[in-house]
Amino acid sequence: MTAQRTRPGLSVPRRNRKPFYLGVVVVVCLLGAAHVLAGRATDFSPGALVDGWHGMADFLAEAFPPKLDWDKVVQPALEACLVTLAIGLLGTTLSVPGALLLAVLGMRGRNPVVYQVSRSIMSFLRAVPDVVFALIFVTAVGLGPFAGVLALICHNMGVMGKLWSEAMEEIDSGPADALRVAGAREAQVIANAVLPAVVPSLVGLLLYRFDVNVRASLVLGLVGAGGIGFLINQSIKLFQFDVLATYILLVLVLIIAVDLLSALVRRRLND
Amino acid sequence: MNTLLDTGLAVRGLRKSYGGREVLKGVDLTVAPGELVALLGANGSGKSTALRCVVGLAEADAGEIRVAGTSLRGLSGAELTRARRAAAMVFQQIHLVRRRSALDNVCAGGIAGLPLSRSLSPVLFPRELREHAMACLDRVGLADRAHDRAGSLSGGQQQRVAVARALCQGARVLLADEPVSALDPAAATQVMALLAELAHEDGLAVAVVLHQPELARLHADRLIGLIDGEIRLSTPAALLSEEDIAALYRGERG
Repeated sequence: MTAQRTRPGLSVPRRNRKPFYLGVVVVVCLLGAAHVLAGRATDFSPGALVDGWHGMADFLAEAFPPKLDWDKVVQPALEACLVTLAIGLLGTTLSVPGALLLAVLGMRGRNPVVYQVSRSIMSFLRAVPDVVFALIFVTAVGLGPFAGVLALICHNMGVMGKLWSEAMEEIDSGPADALRVAGAREAQVIANAVLPAVVPSLVGLLLYRFDVNVRASLVLGLVGAGGIGFLINQSIKLFQFDVLATYILLVLVLIIAVDLLSALVRRRLND
Repeated sequence: MNTLLDTGLAVRGLRKSYGGREVLKGVDLTVAPGELVALLGANGSGKSTALRCVVGLAEADAGEIRVAGTSLRGLSGAELTRARRAAAMVFQQIHLVRRRSALDNVCAGGIAGLPLSRSLSPVLFPRELREHAMACLDRVGLADRAHDRAGSLSGGQQQRVAVARALCQGARVLLADEPVSALDPAAATQVMALLAELAHEDGLAVAVVLHQPELARLHADRLIGLIDGEIRLSTPAALLSEEDIAALYRGERG
């Protein structure tokens, strides 16, 4: 029906816009220049990699086969993996109350002063790397996993607070409006309209952060917070590359296990 | 002035502008207890804005609003909230918390007067509130779905749960902003019949913004038509003519 009724040969009106090719050329040139400068700044040189290939070959030759001595290598490594996991777990869980508070206070559209203060605290906590927090806490509680837990709590509070407050801002404000009309106070609105709607995405983000924090606690181990990171650091210092290979394999298993677990729970939540 | 209005809604000279554009140009609106009034008009004629000003989702520039006999003029803070609580609102988008049960959603309408320690989670809600909410659910015919997740109910059922939530609020004035626009014809008829029942049997003052003149004619007692923020039509539902309807929506075409 519409085929017969359309007017034939209707010309497309010209768009009233300047050609943008010049702009594209300028942007590409600027990006190219930035990458050349970045290459200089990082001593980027494929030649050096080719020239030094036998260094890597020696390393790999020493690393394989991995040393699978149960009593001396595998068992201590498994125990250390559990410590790493424990640091990540406590660092994530214990940051929940603080992150929730910062997230609620840092939601747009409420008191602007509270919003700015909360955003600033979260920015600060995110800007300071967890390794730096760890070094600070080491001066108080000494080397060991506890300093790692404290460091992760601080850093994760900032990151998770930001992710959570953004998730809360994104939800439909309708149910909250409905409760405000019914005369509910702000805390009641948050508890009965905002939180129930966002809990699935909050838990999803929590699991994602647990995943990240387990890997972060590995790095914290390198600076003395215990766990498998600490053993990896030792094996490098002692040039025991076959032992190092075993550690890295176990880390791989640990990371994949955590990843699978969080993916499984997240899928269940979204149903 | 009028004892009949002590439990109804009375709006006088309501004005509201958004960014220089006058949306309401002095609207007078009276809804008596036991009466269902339908507000008709083209998109942008100010119907929804009028309701939103009554419940506080929009701030009126001028005019007086009396809800259940109490004037909102000069009130602020907790007093204003308490006076406004006599008016409840039902929305086109329904606005239930989908993951919570129907009963918990209805309870949420009645938490305003509770201390925080009894209202921050459904497990803390007092038994009287749950029983009151159950009675409200029963009033809309959904007592058997009390523990179903709100999101698992049909659109018509969800809108009836939202009506129950408004009842649980203890409102004497019930406002509905296009409550049936998202529903199929059968569900729309059911919800409209429920709203009419609440007016005629329970004595609520009910004002409904509608886009379907046919539904208005069938269920409302009185029709009010808005054009460009002014009331141009006020007639008993039975007397609504085709010319009236054409005049209301003429502005939208062309």
